Amino acid sequence: MNWVEFSSDAFIAAFFLYCFGFLFYVIAVAGKKWSNRDPELHAKRWSRIAFVVSALGLAAHLTFFFTRWFGSGQIPTSNMYEFMTFLGMAIMIAFVIVNAIYRKPVLGMFALPLVVLIVAYASVFPQEVQPLVPALNSIWLKIHVTTAALGEAFFAVAFASGLMYLLRVVDFKGKSKKARRAQRWVEFTLYVIVVIIAFIATVFIFRGMGYQASFTQELVNIDARGVETTTVENVDYSMPPIFKPYNSEVVEMDSFLGLNKPLLETPGWMDGVNAGRKLNTIAWSILMGSLLYGLLRLALRKPLGAIIHPLMDGIDPEDLDEITYRAIAIGFPIFTLGALIFAMIWANIAWSRFWGWDPKEVWALITWLFYSAYLHLRLSRGWQGQPSAWLAVIGFVIVMFTLIGVNLVIAGLHSYAGVS
Amino acid sequence: MIHNTKCECGHQNYVGTVLCESCGKPLGEDMHSQEPLEMRYDGVARRSQKSNPNWIDRIWNFFSSVKIAVYLIIITLIGSIFGTILPQENTFISGNPADYYGPNHGWFGEVYYQLGFSRTYESWWFITLLVMIGTSLVICSLDRVLPLYRALKKQQIRKHLSFITRQKVVYTRELDVPGETFAREMEGQLKRRRFRVHRDGDALLAEKNRFSRWGPYINHIGLIIFLLAVLARSIPGWYMDEYVTIPEGETVPIENTNYYLKNEQFTVEYYTDDEMPAEMAGQLRAKLYQTKAVLYECTANCHDLVEEPVLEEVKRHDIIVNSPLTYQGLHAYQFDFDDTPKLAAVEPSLINKETGENYGSFDLRMINPDLHYEVGPYELELRSQYMEFAIGEDGNPTSLSRDPNAPAFFFIIKGPGLAEEGETYLYFPRQVDKQRFSQDQINSHISDRLELSVGSMEGVTFAGATTFLNIRVDTAMPYVWVGAGISMLGLIMGFYWNHRRIWLRVDNGKLSLGAHTNKNWYGMRGDVASALKKVGIEVDPKSLDNGGKN
Repeated sequence: MNWVEFSSDAFIAAFFLYCFGFLFYVIAVAGKKWSNRDPELHAKRWSRIAFVVSALGLAAHLTFFFTRWFGSGQIPTSNMYEFMTFLGMAIMIAFVIVNAIYRKPVLGMFALPLVVLIVAYASVFPQEVQPLVPALNSIWLKIHVTTAALGEAFFAVAFASGLMYLLRVVDFKGKSKKARRAQRWVEFTLYVIVVIIAFIATVFIFRGMGYQASFTQELVNIDARGVETTTVENVDYSMPPIFKPYNSEVVEMDSFLGLNKPLLETPGWMDGVNAGRKLNTIAWSILMGSLLYGLLRLALRKPLGAIIHPLMDGIDPEDLDEITYRAIAIGFPIFTLGALIFAMIWANIAWSRFWGWDPKEVWALITWLFYSAYLHLRLSRGWQGQPSAWLAVIGFVIVMFTLIGVNLVIAGLHSYAGVS
Repeated sequence: MIHNTKCECGHQNYVGTVLCESCGKPLGEDMHSQEPLEMRYDGVARRSQKSNPNWIDRIWNFFSSVKIAVYLIIITLIGSIFGTILPQENTFISGNPADYYGPNHGWFGEVYYQLGFSRTYESWWFITLLVMIGTSLVICSLDRVLPLYRALKKQQIRKHLSFITRQKVVYTRELDVPGETFAREMEGQLKRRRFRVHRDGDALLAEKNRFSRWGPYINHIGLIIFLLAVLARSIPGWYMDEYVTIPEGETVPIENTNYYLKNEQFTVEYYTDDEMPAEMAGQLRAKLYQTKAVLYECTANCHDLVEEPVLEEVKRHDIIVNSPLTYQGLHAYQFDFDDTPKLAAVEPSLINKETGENYGSFDLRMINPDLHYEVGPYELELRSQYMEFAIGEDGNPTSLSRDPNAPAFFFIIKGPGLAEEGETYLYFPRQVDKQRFSQDQINSHISDRLELSVGSMEGVTFAGATTFLNIRVDTAMPYVWVGAGISMLGLIMGFYWNHRRIWLRVDNGKLSLGAHTNKNWYGMRGDVASALKKVGIEVDPKSLDNGGKN
């Protein structure tokens, strides 16, 4: 067995340890109400077990990272799979640091599932070690990517505690306009999380079934000189085509539940790289996510927020508010250093300019501007509690768009980190 | 309205002061409330709170507002998003952007282009926003840092009782030891927690990490230097951004400089299948692009059309993507390459079409060709050359690029049987261009008598790969890095330390303790609780919280 194969085993171990860590955190928090036990003692005991298991998960994850690095001879942060796994690991590190300061293990109940989700999402991407293209062959790959991810990891922890805060304080029985609006948005946030879970599940289900469909697509491109070129490309789908690529013909297609020809065509104005496949994936995710959410609602007969809310009893909302803010305050300088300053230094060496308004650069700036607005509002305008928690949630959505969305919908110089 | 700004302690405060600068007694409307105090900037008056603002004051007040600063940040944020929807014009190196947006993105692309979003980041409104943010940075900082510095410079130890009990962290109790003894004990404990303690009998002021208060302002200074450095690039000579195209083996001048650059050898390496995972076998994945480059400085005959320039080698470097050639502020970066075969030279023969006689051949280079050729009894004079021949909109010949994609040479031929002043001849070395542009028809007056043509492939030489290098001079860079560094220093000072102060006084055996920090109340309460514990008072840190906003 070589090092890279060993690292994959360590990765699977980390994944399961994280899952169990999450489970034990839920027991620690939810089990307080179980009969014949002292709630404080129960919480203390199970949070410790959960923390130890999660820390073991982090140790396995670190083992994965360094053995893969050693085995492949390059730092594993150079494609989407490697980056997302690293982000998951960084969130664990950020969680351990914040936990060391505040000793509020319940934070793990939200940080752990976030890590599980991100690690599972990483596994959607091709996992083989890809040799470095010349642009990435630099020491700054190690420095820039790791620091930027660590800064973002603190924002992720802020997202987890911000969402916890909202689930804790939003009045799920309230009938006022304000309460209803808060309920709706919390529920929408949870729905989006369900859609992401459904996306990952769908990918693995169709991958497990070995589903395949392929198309030939005729692409017309007009360059800046006005010269028109037509190319024919093969497009492979691994999910049944709800949307086939624009201007394409089926080459072969597995039948799925009687679906043996594409239902719809991707509109022509969606003309990015692999636009059809991406739209199809999004359509499947929303479809399956809505289905899953609907089933959950039918089974539980209550909004998801109202189910989670009672679990949060006894958690001090002010602590959560402070943790959210503190995580952002710790992450902000790291993010500035990693995602902007180190990025500028590398860009200046590799691309001859420190700033070129590449979409990825602009979105890193947007993230930075957003969190600076947050900090000004918090420190100088007294925005605390719910507004502050909402900003932490929105901020992390912007972070994820910068990391994934930009590659998904906007192509730029960072496209080698692309989604396939 | 006339404010009486004199405090009961005798200190004369500026108009707009919230807390007496000396004893901390709340002034103004806030006087009778019991809510925790607004401690921001220690309650000092700022310039922006002048009572009768003139127009300069109004501008100052506008830019000194944090609310305005946040609005500016949010507008800039939203504005930046627009620029990421479609590629910006600066990503095209050649061609007319007008021909790109409409044809590729339909009506949306057209509107996007017409509204100027294709140049979002160079647009007047975006630059204005950045300048406004810069102004806000300067004015916000000045408006706050000077009074804050003054307030922190001279702090009184014994604060007004209502100042202490209206802090966000408060502890009061009856003491069973004399006040001074207690204060002395606390002094010792707080010193061990690295506070600087000033004691005045039974009153005490403990303070630590005051420097962290300057963090935000240092950060802002860094950002201002950064923004100014970016603006400084418009100083003539500070900024240059050129692209050079160098076929292998050639030396080309770098425009607007005295330098010449030679591409000695260009190499592209691809990963072999052995080096790649099985899933990627057969893919072309680049491993290395490298230009072996030599930089020359021209010492004589520079830009002389007739004489060869005298070149002196100054630097030699293998340019790869992450390793540019650097010489005295000039940088040459590997930008792109083209390894599709390109004509380097042809060796056409001049043939008499009527007799089939071959008068001989000559060497015609695509780059820097000679202007005169003698072939047998004929004399050829090169009048103009087109690298990528096309007929322009005005009906005259033009060249679409500087690469020999469709080269054409315009000769005047003189010799036996031809007109005295010579006859014109347009020559396309590539057979495909010759047919596309109907060479024989253009030259119809002469084409049935004389012809230039290349007999076989032996008469054709191809150039090695062409490298594209980006030449940059950016004198402002050191200032950009200094600005970024200062900004980073400020962020670290401001976020990883916090300014903590504890005041206490004992009045008739009753201890009143108040504490304030600019960030991290959790740590502040911990500090107070653990110092109290050491002097024998057990309190839950959380119980010290007096409510109010952080």
